[in-house]
Amino acid sequence: MSTRNGNLLEVKDLRTYFHTDDGTVKAVDGVSFNLRRGETLGIVGESGSGKSVTNLSIIRLIQNPPGEIVSGEVHFDGKDILRLTEEEVRKVRGRRIAMIFQDPMTSLNPFMKISRQLMEMTQLHLGHSKSQAYAHAIEMLDTVGIPEARRRVDDYPHEFSGGMRQRVMIAMALSCEPELLIADEPSTALDVTIQAQILELIKTLKAKTGTSVILITHDLGVVAGMTDHLLVMYAGKIFEQAPTRELFAAPANPYTKGLLRSVPDPTAEPGMLYQISGLPPDVAHLPEGCPFAPRCERAEEICRKEFPPFVAVTHDHHSLCHFATEVYAQSLGEKSSANLKGGLLKVKKWGLS
Amino acid sequence: MGTELNRVTVESELGAPGAKKPLISIRNLTVYFDLGRQRRQTKQNGAGKQKHTADGWLKDFVVDIGLALIAVIIIVISRGWLSGWLWVVVNGVVIALLLTFALYRRRGARETVKAVDGVSLDIFPGETLGLVGESGCGKSTLGRAIVRLTNPTSGQVLFRDRDLAHLSKRQMREHRRHLQIIFQDPYASLNPRMTVGEIVREPLDTFRLARGKQVHQRVQDLMETVGLSKRFIKRYPHEFSGGQRQRIGIARALAVEPDFIVADEPISALDVSIQAQILNLLGKLQRQKNLTYLFISHDLRAVRHAANRVAVMYLGKIVEVANSSAIYDNPLMPYTKALISAVPVPDPAVEATRQRMVLDGDVPSPINPPAGCRFHTRCSYAIEVCKTVVPPLVEIKPNHFAACIRISPEQPQIESVAPGEAPGLEAASGLIL
Repeated sequence: MSTRNGNLLEVKDLRTYFHTDDGTVKAVDGVSFNLRRGETLGIVGESGSGKSVTNLSIIRLIQNPPGEIVSGEVHFDGKDILRLTEEEVRKVRGRRIAMIFQDPMTSLNPFMKISRQLMEMTQLHLGHSKSQAYAHAIEMLDTVGIPEARRRVDDYPHEFSGGMRQRVMIAMALSCEPELLIADEPSTALDVTIQAQILELIKTLKAKTGTSVILITHDLGVVAGMTDHLLVMYAGKIFEQAPTRELFAAPANPYTKGLLRSVPDPTAEPGMLYQISGLPPDVAHLPEGCPFAPRCERAEEICRKEFPPFVAVTHDHHSLCHFATEVYAQSLGEKSSANLKGGLLKVKKWGLS
Repeated sequence: MGTELNRVTVESELGAPGAKKPLISIRNLTVYFDLGRQRRQTKQNGAGKQKHTADGWLKDFVVDIGLALIAVIIIVISRGWLSGWLWVVVNGVVIALLLTFALYRRRGARETVKAVDGVSLDIFPGETLGLVGESGCGKSTLGRAIVRLTNPTSGQVLFRDRDLAHLSKRQMREHRRHLQIIFQDPYASLNPRMTVGEIVREPLDTFRLARGKQVHQRVQDLMETVGLSKRFIKRYPHEFSGGQRQRIGIARALAVEPDFIVADEPISALDVSIQAQILNLLGKLQRQKNLTYLFISHDLRAVRHAANRVAVMYLGKIVEVANSSAIYDNPLMPYTKALISAVPVPDPAVEATRQRMVLDGDVPSPINPPAGCRFHTRCSYAIEVCKTVVPPLVEIKPNHFAACIRISPEQPQIESVAPGEAPGLEAASGLIL
């Protein structure tokens, strides 16, 4: 069933370029990662970092033109998705790999009843009859916690609130029991209390069904509690890759470090917040050398000239930086000194009984 | 009116750190939006229990008088044209039509959204008051009502001994100089046909704050203050990134040297690394120019960082006000507790051990907010009384106000209150009278 080493998904050197009037935008440029069965992978990055395009490439939803998957391999359960025919991809997409998008209003058809949209999935992929599919739709709505599912199933999307719509999206995504769920900013458009509900729901459903999840977000708080592994993307490249705890504890890349520090720390005294200076890069016109160099505090001459290597600081912790080992050692040092008082304080202050 | 004044004196100490005089005092502010007649029953809240508001009744009355006048005019005019039975028939038809129209308008009750419902707050000079709540709770409407971008239905906004809520448009224009607002969406709030220089310059011209060469100098200074290069002066908004656009918005707000700025979700549309830059800029400007902010945001982490005091809003009402450290470390009202526990912490170690208090359901519709405490439909501590008694904002601890009848100054922690008891009930009945 699974591939050679328990990986459900293996992405190798994926490159997706967009050909625009302004030049070629290398939205995803040499991305490689593995996802094990049952694991949750988080992809973090700012807008334009290529995190969404990576995942659209995985399920072959890149519009061509202007987009083009230039090279790479995406092995899903042993098969290279990029080499499949359109017909074969359609059998995988929705059935074995499902996706949830950020904006639940624009991804549901406003003219169709919820029931029909849910039934479409199972009728197509699982060959359900109409009545089977209808019963399944109700069951799924029930699973994702929509009260009075039997009565609400024939409503239209506009009759649901934002959080409810996202639940419907999740119900739809999970109705064929996919092996991989890609959630692209599933909670960004929602209020904090609703965000907590949705994240909790994804967590429990994942535990129940054993689905692997790729969670794309810009919120470091969201990935901290949800994921096993993390990718940090910047300018179409993976800047850092590590188990979540490790990455938060000892970032080995100045960009990750900056991101972590610029999130307002609720326990710190108000004052100046750490900021990464400058602007996110224009991906169509990247500077020579490291794309982060113009904004980096640590940057030296070499960073502006040579593209940095992807350094392995430990066996499963990689960082794209000329000084990765140095930054890593420094983070380790900082952590051990701040660990005791900081960590305990946070638990006390934020963990509500 | 007498009770109204009494309330003002009762609450004038609201959230006062020391005896400082507040820069802005909001008293019993309400903003209602009239949605017109209800077309069909809403599903939420079991609906159908709307009442005619005083305002809606008056409108109906005026329209009826108008219809009656039209009828009289037609009758009088047609008297000269037609005669005998023809006159009777024509006017019979006219009156029948007008009556049908009047009755047709009457069907269904009027719907009003109580976006802000009796809010009292003090904002002190030099402080940042954070205003948090879920979308639709009325926090933006409150901010807009203070600077009169939305007209309040009733209540007062006292600024330098003047009631902004009741000034005429012309009078208000003079005061606008002192009150500015920064908007959430830097893409929509700048005129795409004006250059940055023109955008920043416009308020200077409107208020005649600079003349001739001074204008150019002022614009350059302002751009420098917010961290924009002078080179950009002739560029258009679309040439800038989100963070830079927000800086333009800030420069424009600063042009008139205001005392008070409403920052309505100023960082929500920005990237994480840019959010920190804008927060720092706002902080720096506050120290330099002694500004007072009302910082509206749903990002509780940012508010915690930026604000001295925090007000929590739920369905048009303020439910808790306190120093930000008190709100975050020791929230009293159950809604605030849930809100704060919902914020994800960027630390896997904390997230793994933390018990989250997840609220069920959505925010009820503000068209028919629940009776009594508006939070009772989602509150795990709610008891029968909560459905009927509207909890007042009570000072539970020094400078820590909360609206919940299940706690009192003697028993501030709701967890330790005996099940079914409501120690704050007396205070509630005392205030309602």
